[in-house]
Amino acid sequence: MIPFIHSTLDRRKFLCGASGCVALPTLDIFAEDRSSDTQTSESPDRPKNFVAIGTYLGWHQKAFYPSQTGTDYEMPATLKPISEYRGDFTVFSGLDHRAGNGHNNWSNFLCGSQPGTYSFDQLLADHIGQHSRFASLQLTTGSGENRTGKGAMNFSKENIYLPMMRRPSVLYRQMFITNEDRIRTEYLLKSGRSSLDHVVKEAKRLNASLPVNDREKLDEYFHSVRSLESRMARQLTTLDAPVTDPGYQLPENDPITPNLQMEASVIMYDLIAIALDCGLTRVATLFLDGLGQVFTIDGRALSSGYHGLSHHGNDPAMIADLILLDTAHVECFAHFLQTLKQKKGANGKSLLDETIVLLGTGMGDASRHSNRDLPTLVAGGGFQHRGHVATANRPDTLLGDLYITIAQSLGLEIDAFSNAKRNMNEVIS
Amino acid sequence: MIFKRNATPVKISLLFFLSLACTLPHGVANADSNPVLIPEGPRKILRDYCSDCHSQSNQEADINLDVEEISWTDRERTELWEKVLFNNQHGLMPPQDHDQPSPEERKVLSAWLDSQLTTHIKVGGTPPRRLNQAEYLKTLRELLYMHDYELPPGFPGDSEANGFDNSGEGLVMSASHMASYAQVASEVADLLYPQPKQSVPSKIQKGGVDDLVLSFSASAVKDGKLRLASKARDIMRSCTWPQQHQAKMSGVYRITVEGSVFKPRDGDLPMTLEIRARQVSASERSVISNFRFLKDLDFSSQSGQSQTFEAELYEGETLSFRWKNAEFDHNDLKATVKLMTEWFNEDRRWLAAWQQAVFPRGLKKRTPIQTLRGLNGWNVISEALNDPNLDMSEATMDSAETKELLRILSTVGGGTHNLGDALCHYYFNNGPSLQLHGYTIEGPFRLVDSDIDKKYKQIAKQIAGTEKGELSNEAYARNMLERFLPRAFRRPVDDTTTEAFLSIATEHWRQGHSFNEGMHLLMRNILISPQFLYRSLRPGKLDDHDLAARLSYFFTQGPPDRQLNDLAHAGKLTETEELQRQAMRLMPTSRDHPLVQNFTGQWLDTRGLRSIMPDPEFKFGEREISVAKAEVELFFTDMIKGNRPLRDFVDPDFMWTTPYFAEKIYQIKNMKGRRDKLQRITIPRGSRHGGLLGMSAIMMTTANGVDTQPVLRGVWVMENILGMTTPEPPDDVPALTPDIRGTTTPREMLMAHTNETACASCHQHIDPLGFVLENFDPVGQWRESWPGTDRKINASVVLPDGSPINDVIDLKKWLVRNEVVFSKNLAEKLMVYGTGRKLNYAERKEIDSIVRHNHANDAGFRELILALIASDTFRTK
Repeated sequence: MIPFIHSTLDRRKFLCGASGCVALPTLDIFAEDRSSDTQTSESPDRPKNFVAIGTYLGWHQKAFYPSQTGTDYEMPATLKPISEYRGDFTVFSGLDHRAGNGHNNWSNFLCGSQPGTYSFDQLLADHIGQHSRFASLQLTTGSGENRTGKGAMNFSKENIYLPMMRRPSVLYRQMFITNEDRIRTEYLLKSGRSSLDHVVKEAKRLNASLPVNDREKLDEYFHSVRSLESRMARQLTTLDAPVTDPGYQLPENDPITPNLQMEASVIMYDLIAIALDCGLTRVATLFLDGLGQVFTIDGRALSSGYHGLSHHGNDPAMIADLILLDTAHVECFAHFLQTLKQKKGANGKSLLDETIVLLGTGMGDASRHSNRDLPTLVAGGGFQHRGHVATANRPDTLLGDLYITIAQSLGLEIDAFSNAKRNMNEVIS
Repeated sequence: MIFKRNATPVKISLLFFLSLACTLPHGVANADSNPVLIPEGPRKILRDYCSDCHSQSNQEADINLDVEEISWTDRERTELWEKVLFNNQHGLMPPQDHDQPSPEERKVLSAWLDSQLTTHIKVGGTPPRRLNQAEYLKTLRELLYMHDYELPPGFPGDSEANGFDNSGEGLVMSASHMASYAQVASEVADLLYPQPKQSVPSKIQKGGVDDLVLSFSASAVKDGKLRLASKARDIMRSCTWPQQHQAKMSGVYRITVEGSVFKPRDGDLPMTLEIRARQVSASERSVISNFRFLKDLDFSSQSGQSQTFEAELYEGETLSFRWKNAEFDHNDLKATVKLMTEWFNEDRRWLAAWQQAVFPRGLKKRTPIQTLRGLNGWNVISEALNDPNLDMSEATMDSAETKELLRILSTVGGGTHNLGDALCHYYFNNGPSLQLHGYTIEGPFRLVDSDIDKKYKQIAKQIAGTEKGELSNEAYARNMLERFLPRAFRRPVDDTTTEAFLSIATEHWRQGHSFNEGMHLLMRNILISPQFLYRSLRPGKLDDHDLAARLSYFFTQGPPDRQLNDLAHAGKLTETEELQRQAMRLMPTSRDHPLVQNFTGQWLDTRGLRSIMPDPEFKFGEREISVAKAEVELFFTDMIKGNRPLRDFVDPDFMWTTPYFAEKIYQIKNMKGRRDKLQRITIPRGSRHGGLLGMSAIMMTTANGVDTQPVLRGVWVMENILGMTTPEPPDDVPALTPDIRGTTTPREMLMAHTNETACASCHQHIDPLGFVLENFDPVGQWRESWPGTDRKINASVVLPDGSPINDVIDLKKWLVRNEVVFSKNLAEKLMVYGTGRKLNYAERKEIDSIVRHNHANDAGFRELILALIASDTFRTK
C-alpha cells in the first residue's frame, strides 16, 4: 500500500513525463554524402569557423544586458572586460528556444526547443567540419566529472551526447602528433578500418536474434562503428598534412579542479584559437560548468559556492558576488577575443573576423530555474555588429532565428533550426 | 549529485503519486490475441466517466480512452492503461468535480485491467547492456590478467538511467565510446603483440671517473681514480653508477671495467666489484637487492686491469658498481661496533682523535653528530689525529667517553650514517679501497626481452594457453580463440564465430603481415566486438552463462569467476539452491565490496558527497566527508552481514561512526577508542541519530553544503525512501520566482511559495517530509534554531495521510509502521541495479509478493536479496 494518497487532480498532467523513445537511424544513413562544404577555393578568405561557449548556471541577466539598445549603450557590469571590443560583438536580449525549464533542459542552449537532440554545433560540424582533423572539438572547464546524458551540451544527429575533454594536455597531444607516430598510426588505421566490417557482420548476426526494441540498441553500435570508420578515414587524409607543433607551454598539471576554472578556461581558449588557426577544426564548443566551487576573486572568497550564488533569491549581496563571478568568466573571454583578433591570416583578416563566436547559456535565470530569455552574445564572424539588440518587443523572435543566420553565414543552406523557421538576417548580417 | 534536484521549489506534477505507476514497462509479450476488444462492462465505465475528456474529439493530455480495443503489443498504450488502472484503483480520476464511478464499477474496471496486464505483460526486457566504465575496466583486467591496467585519460563516462549508471537504457554507445574502445584495444594489443624491436646500431660508450655518480660519501675521486669504501645495501652509501649512460634497447651489451686495488692489507685480496643493472629512474633510496645482478669481477692489481664480460641490459637500465667484500658496512651495526672496538683497542691515538671530534670538551659537551657527517667529520677527526697535543687522557677502552662513543656508533642515525660516512673518507685517503678507472659499454649486440616484455609474453601465453613454438600461425590463433573468445564473450562460442574471427588474422597474414600483426589485429577486433562490450543479448529466461554474468556483475562489477563458470558449464547455476549458494558466497562482507560502494553511492547519492564542499563554517572537510561516507557503507554492509530486518534501515539499535565524529555531529560523548577509528556502537532505538535518516551523509547529500533545502530533502525522501518519482514540470507551466525577501526563517520562506496555489497542491506532499528534517543542518549536525537567528526550529508537520509528526523520531516511527513501503522501494532499486532495466507491471507484482513474504516471515535483508536473486525478474533478460 502507498502510505498516503491524495486525490488532488489535474487532468492536464495526466501522462506527463511519459516520453516516447528516441528514434535511431538506420544503416543507410552512412551512405549519405557529407561533403557539402560550400566554400569555394577562389576566395582568398579562410573558411569561417564557429565557436560556442555556454555557462551551466546562466548569466545574471540584469548585469549582462545593457540598459539601452542600439550601439550607443553603457557597458553593463558583466561585459566591462570586453569594453574595448564593443565594435566586435552584439548582445541579444529576449531570445530563447521556448524549451522546458530546469537544469535538465539546459542543453536547449545548442539543441533548441528539444533538449538532448541534434545540437547546433554538430549540425554545423556535419556540414563544415568534415575536412578537418577534428570535425568538432568539445571542451569543458570547471566540471567535477565528465558531463553525460542530459547534462551534456553536444548531441550527434542520433541524439547521442558527445563527451567533452577537460584535460588540456590530452587535447594538445591529439592536436599535434609526432612524426615517429605517423607510420604506425597509418598502419593501425588502415588495418583497423579494413576489419571493421567483421564486427558489423557479427553484430548483424546478433541483431537478427534480438527483439525489435533491442535492435535500436545495436543500431547505436552500428552507428558508432561507422563513425569510427569515417573518423579513421579522416585521420588518414589529415596524416598527410602534418601541422607543426607551435610549442604552447602547458602547465605541468592540468587545472581540472573546479576551483581552477578560470585558469583552465584561459588555456582552453588558447587551444581553441590554435586549433582554428592551424585548421585542425572549424567547430569548437566550451562548456563552463558550475558546481559548488567557491571562487576567490581579488583576494576575497565569495560568499557562497557558484551554485549557491546562482540561487541568490534576490539577495543583493549574493547577486553582487554572482556578478563578480560572471565578470571573471568574461575576463577570460576577453583574452579569447584578444587572441583571435591578434591572429591574422594571409589575407590580413583577423581570426576573429573569420570566426563566429557565440557566448550564451541554456539557463535564463538560475535562481528560478527559468530557461526563458537566455543572455546571448555574438562576436566576430565578419558581422556588422549592432550593439544591443532587444527582441522583447517582438515576442515571436526565437534564438533559433539567430542560429539560422549564423548557419547561413557559415555557408549552410538551411532555413529552419529546431522550432525556428526564419533567419534574423535583417537584424545582423 | 547536487544538481539532481533544484534548490528552489521543484515544480511537480500534481499527480506525483501517479509516478508509482509511471515506471515504463519494457517487456510486453507478443500475445497472439491482439488487439483485445474491451468487454462491454469496462467499456461502458470508460465511456460513461472518461470519454467526456479523453475521446477522439477531445483528447485531454493527448489521451483517448474512447476506444473499442487495446493493442497490448504497443508499449505506449500499455503504459497508458497501467496508469488508468492505478488512477482508478486510487480514485485519482475522474477529477473530483466530475461524476464518479461507484465502488463496484471501479472494481470491475480494475479487475479487468489487472487481468489484462497480468496476461499481456511478461517479466523481462533488459535492453542490451553495454559494460559501463567500471565494469569495462574490471572485465579487461580479469580477461587480460592485467591487474594494474588503467584506462587512458579522456575515456568517456556513462550516463545514468533509472537512477543507476548500469542501466541498459542509459548506457548508450556513442562514436567517442567506440573510438575509446578501439584505442584501448590497440593499447593492450601493443603490450601483448608488440612490434618487432627496431634494432639500433651497436654503439660504444666510454666513461671515466668523472662520468660516475658521487652519492653522499659512497665514493670519492682521488689521484684520478674513483674509490669505494662501504658495502652497505643502501646504494646511496655504497654504489656509483654512470651519469649519462642508459640502454636504449633491451639487449646484450659488452661491458669493460678498468679497476685496481688501493693499499690492500693482508687478506683484502682479491677485492670483488659487484656489478648490477639499475633502472636509471630508480630512487636513490633503493637497496642493492632492488637491482638485477650481472657480474662479480675480482681485482688484485694495484696498477690497474681491464676486465670484460657480456650481460643483458634492459631498456632504461645502466650499471651499478659496489665493492662487495669491503670491510665496512653502514647497515651492519654490530659489525661496525666490533670493527671500531678492535681498531680503538689497537690504536689509542685513533680512539683519542674520535673522542676529540665527538667530545671536544668532555662528555657533557658533545658535538652534534650531524655536523660530523662525511667529509666534515673526517676533517675534524684527521685534524685531531695530526694534533701533536692530542688529549689522550680518556683514550682507554673502559673510559666513559669510549663507551659513549661506541654507543653512538651502534645507532643508525648517529653512528653508521653520520660517523660512518666520515669513516669512509679514512678509506678513501688511506685505503684499503677498490678503485674504478673507467668503463666501456658496447652494444647492443643482440636484442633481448626485458622483464616487462617477459611479463606480457607470459600473459599472451596464458591467454592462448600455449606458446607459439613450432605451431603454425593459424594453429596458434585457433588455440587462442578457442580459449579466449568464451572468456571474452562470457559464454561458449560456436565454430562459425571462431572461424570468422580466425579469418581476420589469416587474411592479414595472407597479405604478408607478420605473426604479431595478425594477432594484434585479432585482439583489436575481439575487444570491440558487441559480444564483449554488451551483455543481455539473448531474450527470455537467462541460461546458465548469462545468469552467471548477471550475478557476477551485480555483486562484483566484473565477469564471472572460475567457480561460476564451472557451474554454468555444468548447468548447475540455474538450480535455485546453487544460485543462492553462489549469491551467499559473493555477498558483501566489507564496505569496499563493489555492491556496497556502487549501490549505496547511487541509491543514496553518497557518490556526490565529495563535490558538495560544505561552507567552511561547518569545519567539515575531506576527513569528515570520508567518515560520513564510510558510515553509510559500513551500516549497509552490516545490514547484509547481520541479515537485519529492513526496519533497521530506519530505526536501528546500532550505528557506525568514529569517536570524533560522534561527538562533533551526533553529540555522542562517551565513545571509546582512537578518535578516528570507525566502530560499531549500540544506540537506543527511537534515537534521532542512527538509520538512514539520521546520518550525516544523507543530510549532506540533500542539502547544498551551505543551506538546508527542505524541498530537496522532501523530494529525496519520496524518491529514495518511499520509492516515488517526482516527474519533471510540464513545459507549459512558467517558472515562478518566489519573492522570499522579508521572510526570516526557512519555514516562512516555504510558506511563501506554498501560498502560491500552483505550487501548493504538490508542495503540501513534499514539504512535510523535508521540513521535519530541518533540525539537521547541511552536514547533519543537530540544531535547535535556524542559523543567524534565535528562532527555534519547529519541525512539526502533518503528513498527507493525516499523521501528525513532531520530529524525525516520529517520522522514523511512521516509517517503521510502513516498513513494507520502504522495503519494496529498496527491493525495486536493487532489482533495477541488478537487471539494468525499469521494472514493469509484472515485475513489480513479483517483487511486491517477495517483499510481503519476507515481511510476514520477519526475514532479514540478506534473505530478501537472496529471494530477489531467485526471482523471475532477476533471472530473465
